[in-house]
Amino acid sequence: MIPFDQILVQIVNGLVNGMILALVASGLTLIFGIMDIVNFAHGELFMLGAYIGTTVFLTTGNFWVALVGSVVAMAVIGAVLQVAALRPLVGRDPLTTILATFGLSLVIQNYALWQYGPVPRRIIAPVTGHFPLFYVEYPVYRLVIALLSAAIIGGLYLFMKHGKHGIWIRATTQDRVMAAAMGIPVPWVHTVVFAIGAAMAAASGVLYGPTIGVNHAMGFDFTLRAFVVVVVGGMGNLGGSILASIFVSLLESLASIWVSPAQAIIVAFVALILTLLVRPTGLFVPTPK
Amino acid sequence: MAERWQDEAWAKDMWWSGKTTRRRLLGLSATAAGALGASMLVPAPWRAAFGQAKPFKIGVLQPLTGTAAAGGKTALVGTQLATDRINRSGGINGRPVELVVADYESKPDVGRRKAEKLLVEDKVDIGEGGYLSNVCLACMPVFEEHKTIWMIGVCLDTTITTSKCSRYVFRPFDYAPSQAVAFAPYLVNKLAKKWHIVFLDYAWGQTTRDAYVEQIKKAGGEIVGTTGILLGAPADTVTSSVSNIRGNFDGVFAIMFGANAVTFTNAAYELGLFKKAKYAGDGAVAESTHLATLGQKIEGFTGVNRYIPVLTKPLDTPAHKKFFDEARVKLKQIDPSGPDPDRYVQSNFEAMNFLKLGIQKSGFRDREDSMKLIEALEGMEVKEGDDFPQGDKTLRKEDHQAFLRQFIFDIHNNKHRLLEVVAKDKTVVPPACTFAKA
Repeated sequence: MIPFDQILVQIVNGLVNGMILALVASGLTLIFGIMDIVNFAHGELFMLGAYIGTTVFLTTGNFWVALVGSVVAMAVIGAVLQVAALRPLVGRDPLTTILATFGLSLVIQNYALWQYGPVPRRIIAPVTGHFPLFYVEYPVYRLVIALLSAAIIGGLYLFMKHGKHGIWIRATTQDRVMAAAMGIPVPWVHTVVFAIGAAMAAASGVLYGPTIGVNHAMGFDFTLRAFVVVVVGGMGNLGGSILASIFVSLLESLASIWVSPAQAIIVAFVALILTLLVRPTGLFVPTPK
Repeated sequence: MAERWQDEAWAKDMWWSGKTTRRRLLGLSATAAGALGASMLVPAPWRAAFGQAKPFKIGVLQPLTGTAAAGGKTALVGTQLATDRINRSGGINGRPVELVVADYESKPDVGRRKAEKLLVEDKVDIGEGGYLSNVCLACMPVFEEHKTIWMIGVCLDTTITTSKCSRYVFRPFDYAPSQAVAFAPYLVNKLAKKWHIVFLDYAWGQTTRDAYVEQIKKAGGEIVGTTGILLGAPADTVTSSVSNIRGNFDGVFAIMFGANAVTFTNAAYELGLFKKAKYAGDGAVAESTHLATLGQKIEGFTGVNRYIPVLTKPLDTPAHKKFFDEARVKLKQIDPSGPDPDRYVQSNFEAMNFLKLGIQKSGFRDREDSMKLIEALEGMEVKEGDDFPQGDKTLRKEDHQAFLRQFIFDIHNNKHRLLEVVAKDKTVVPPACTFAKA
């Protein structure tokens, strides 16, 4: 018999992990929804953002400055990458962009290894302290990450819903030709969306950095799992990706009670396969009427 | 409206649309080819000193990209450090050493392919390196098939020199059964009686877990539970796994390395596990390269390792000081933070020196002489000195496993502090290898 408190602890873990994953996945799904680009370099943007965060943190000693600095720097880097590497590929076979972003991911990963070296970097959490959660002492910072992730995603939602440029983005998602005909500068919308995606990846990297240590390979896990939730949530569907992130993380956390951690990871992929078989449009997409 | 989106008028000015003429392309290609050719004509620094002497080609397998790149890069520093030193002092039997480095991308299948390439295309005389145990296990049959010696530089999986041993493979450093024999009495008598083992769930982690389970029980301790963590597991999975660790134990023993060690220590510290239980483990958990990242979280950790970067007795020898200083200079070239050397640097450095001594003793010329070199290395005894700053070693004939002293240490003020030295003789375990008939 599994103790009830253990299940509750794992539910908290699942929710917290789900929010962090949602922040990574929302950038990924935004880019796919607007540009039809499966961005294999998203995990590396997450990693590079974390590294830039460590540099700013080392210079200023302030975590929040590091967070903002990294977000701004990665937005610029994202925009440059989009203009230089992805814009020329617009309209080509989707495989081309997959290969291009995969190539970008290798370049960024090896650049980080060369620039920062193999030793993991440290970024100190701005909030310390624990609170008792049944038999564990739960770190307050993990809740802070979850809340900040929710706030950033909420901000994105409001921007998309009410902001002028958010409306441009939604219009471009729905019909890019018509949006262009209405005077919306579609290529620049693409650039801005990629910059926003990169900035969100950077924010997650800096927020998550204190809990794992920043290293060149940290993005890989997130890329894989973010893709799972983007598919389970419905490709390009922001709300669906967020729900799927929480759903998959909860599944994994709860599964770890009964099966080994290695098998618990498989649960996410089982969810992916079942989604593709049963409901390929995504679990959290309304059924078309 | 244009058929292709990027042919739209409004999209025309969004990217470069100049023309690359054939003449321009040919010109650029010729310049690039010329520059490449010129750089190839410049001899490697050691060539001038050795004239026409044919170099010994050593094929080095390391994970220089992928999840294990951090360890692979520091391991390579050890190999390069020894090679530079050998070449500076006149090479081996008047011949220089040339390294052919292959990156296996932290993947066993790539490792096997790269091992084949080193042996078939690059025609290396000897192999060196390793790091990930699953890759070592995958590559061992390739070296055996080509009757070429592989001096492993890092891999710690027990079976490499027991059930899967090979006449062509040598491990010139310790393995888990030796470490467990050396460390278990200390764990049980000075730290805790009841242990929960957290291990990396792959070849090395599993065999190391088995060794510690056996020795902790033998020393009078108890194993309350074990938890496997997948190699390269995401941090949230590790957090979930740590949250499931509960029960009546007073010590947590970690068998981890690299990023996994950092992630686990972070998660366990954050969830208050080290407030309930003592934290100990394999020395790889607290390599010098992790200390700055982990800060306070690794404070008080007790471990066992074949190498620790301290310069107090008995490691205050001129040989160790020299190795330490040279390694730091070389490590700074690959990492701006300038870390202290770790066991990966040390064991690869000494692996190359074993090869040097073996070649000198056997008169090895190329792969045809592999058996002569094997016989020279089997049972080789080496003494502490410039070639072996870690200490004396015996490379046992029966299984090609080395025995060496072990250092029990803790982390105090974010630095290694030596607690006890376990003599080489106290780490010996019986051989469990039967070589395949040639």
